[in-house]
Amino acid sequence: MSTAAPEINPVHKAVLRLQTVLLDTVLIASLLLMGELQWVAFSGQRGSTGLLLSAEEILKVLHYGMLALVAFFIATAWNLFYRDIGCSPGRAWVRGEPPWERDLPWQHTLRGWFLALFIEFSFFTGWLITEVNLATFLTKFSKAWDIVRGLLHPSGAVLDQGLILLVQTVFLAFMATAFAIPIAFLISFLAARNLTRQSLAFRITYTVVRTTMNFVRAVEPLVWALIFISWVGIGPFAGVLALWVASIASLVKLYSESIESIDTGPMDAIAATGASYLQVLRYGVVPQIIPPFLSFTIYRWDINVRMSTIIGFVGGGGIGYILKPRVDLGEWGEVGTLVLLIAVTVWLMDLVSAKIRERIV
Amino acid sequence: MSAVASMPATQEAIRIEHLGKTFPSGVRALDDVSVTVREGEFLVVLGLSGSGKSTLLRCINRLIDPTDGKVFIFGIEITALAGSALRAMRRRIGMIFQQFNLVKRHSVLDNVLSGALGRGHMMRSLFMSFTPDEVAFARACLQRVGLADRAGERADRLSGGQQQRVAISRALMQRPRIILADEPVASLDPALRHSVMRHIEALNREEGMTVICSLHDIDLVKRYASRIVALKAGRLAWEGRPEDLDAATFRAIYGEDAEPASNSSVGEEP
Repeated sequence: MSTAAPEINPVHKAVLRLQTVLLDTVLIASLLLMGELQWVAFSGQRGSTGLLLSAEEILKVLHYGMLALVAFFIATAWNLFYRDIGCSPGRAWVRGEPPWERDLPWQHTLRGWFLALFIEFSFFTGWLITEVNLATFLTKFSKAWDIVRGLLHPSGAVLDQGLILLVQTVFLAFMATAFAIPIAFLISFLAARNLTRQSLAFRITYTVVRTTMNFVRAVEPLVWALIFISWVGIGPFAGVLALWVASIASLVKLYSESIESIDTGPMDAIAATGASYLQVLRYGVVPQIIPPFLSFTIYRWDINVRMSTIIGFVGGGGIGYILKPRVDLGEWGEVGTLVLLIAVTVWLMDLVSAKIRERIV
Repeated sequence: MSAVASMPATQEAIRIEHLGKTFPSGVRALDDVSVTVREGEFLVVLGLSGSGKSTLLRCINRLIDPTDGKVFIFGIEITALAGSALRAMRRRIGMIFQQFNLVKRHSVLDNVLSGALGRGHMMRSLFMSFTPDEVAFARACLQRVGLADRAGERADRLSGGQQQRVAISRALMQRPRIILADEPVASLDPALRHSVMRHIEALNREEGMTVICSLHDIDLVKRYASRIVALKAGRLAWEGRPEDLDAATFRAIYGEDAEPASNSSVGEEP
């Protein structure tokens, strides 16, 4: 079998060892640091102000260097004596589980206990760092009641302006989606693994396109909005551009994945007739991907309507633009009107897109 | 039309010389296969699933590139061609697949018309526009397989046997001299197999097209083949005429457990 390497050369072996120890070091160091954080938090240490240390302050005083060093020694020792005390998690990941541990339940291996402790510590640490406070959550609801009451008693004062900006929001989403479609369509062929294997140039293009798109997708539409606002100024056009870029990146991913899942039979059949590669794409690929493409596109329009509200918060036009100042001023009745308008629109979009998708797929 | 007379004087349609294929995974699918097919022959390729039948057929029109050896089509080495010369050669070779490989969402007529892609106008074809002559010829091709009245329907609305007949029309649309049929009836109900095989036989008998067809069913082999080659683990294991194919030979090809019973289809591919 290909998984069992028959002979490992010394260099490869050293690299594997290094990977194992490094992975274990990282895991053990994380466990130790989470342990120290909990220890400090529960020991009741007070800072210079006399208050209990907050999680942020504790994170500043942890002994990162020392614990990393300790973790490295533990990891090394664990991997030296793994035959006696049980395989380390890093070793199991890099080299595979040793056969004598394969059928053991987790409670019977050191690694199992280590991972159980790791998961438990993660929850405790997460609780502390995100400052979860059930007491205030359950007792201080009355402060939020003003907002809820405002939302439940919408005021008519912003209805006219809200409706006008709602139209702007829907068209903003429409323009961003519509102009993203042709570009995403063309790029998606270069980002589909099964269509880009025939030459080195195609493979490089594939990697470049994929990496670029992953990067673009990693940046939130809100950040794109800020970039485009400083580029073309505050207003709906900046919002269109921001959602356009975000839509291209997300549609390329969805489109190219549906290209990757097509049946290659028709491609073979078209190629066998003496058709050129473009014709193979046109007849063998395009008809198969049209239904998923339409479905994804409508879904994306749906997302864009919702996103354009948030984009408006930072100055990208649409209904969010007048929502933000009212939130800041605490005009909860007017906020209620606007939220209601958005909710109805999103609900209608959902309904329409579900119906359309039902029809075409 | 007297197709055989219109062809060049050469008697051989396909010459395969020492063909070999090693896939990137390291699998040796074909090993030193040499076969010569004369014009007008109906050559059946036998063998277990995975014995290299599909690879052999796909190497002939270069859907798969062989790693060793040569293939000549009417004396021209197709294994040395590339680009438009390769596509021109492929036009003369129609191919029929086990899974029909129709464009499911296109109409039956559009599927047949796609057989003309190799000779049409490139830009026009991208907008799915075909000349009236080609549309008329496509209808004639459908008429031949008895599906003229289904031309406007979506391809996936037809039954399996009908879809395979559409695929035959698509191959006919190329005006080919050679037909490669890769398990053309293996996905069909046994009762429908002759309905498809008879059409392939008609192309061979009436149009003089050379046919290479892989089959499983021993009855079909005996009924349609004019000559048989058998593959075993990628190598040529047996060659002969259908009347020479007896139970002992059959077991030599398919292994000791095989039963050359009527209507048995041995080891169908999924």
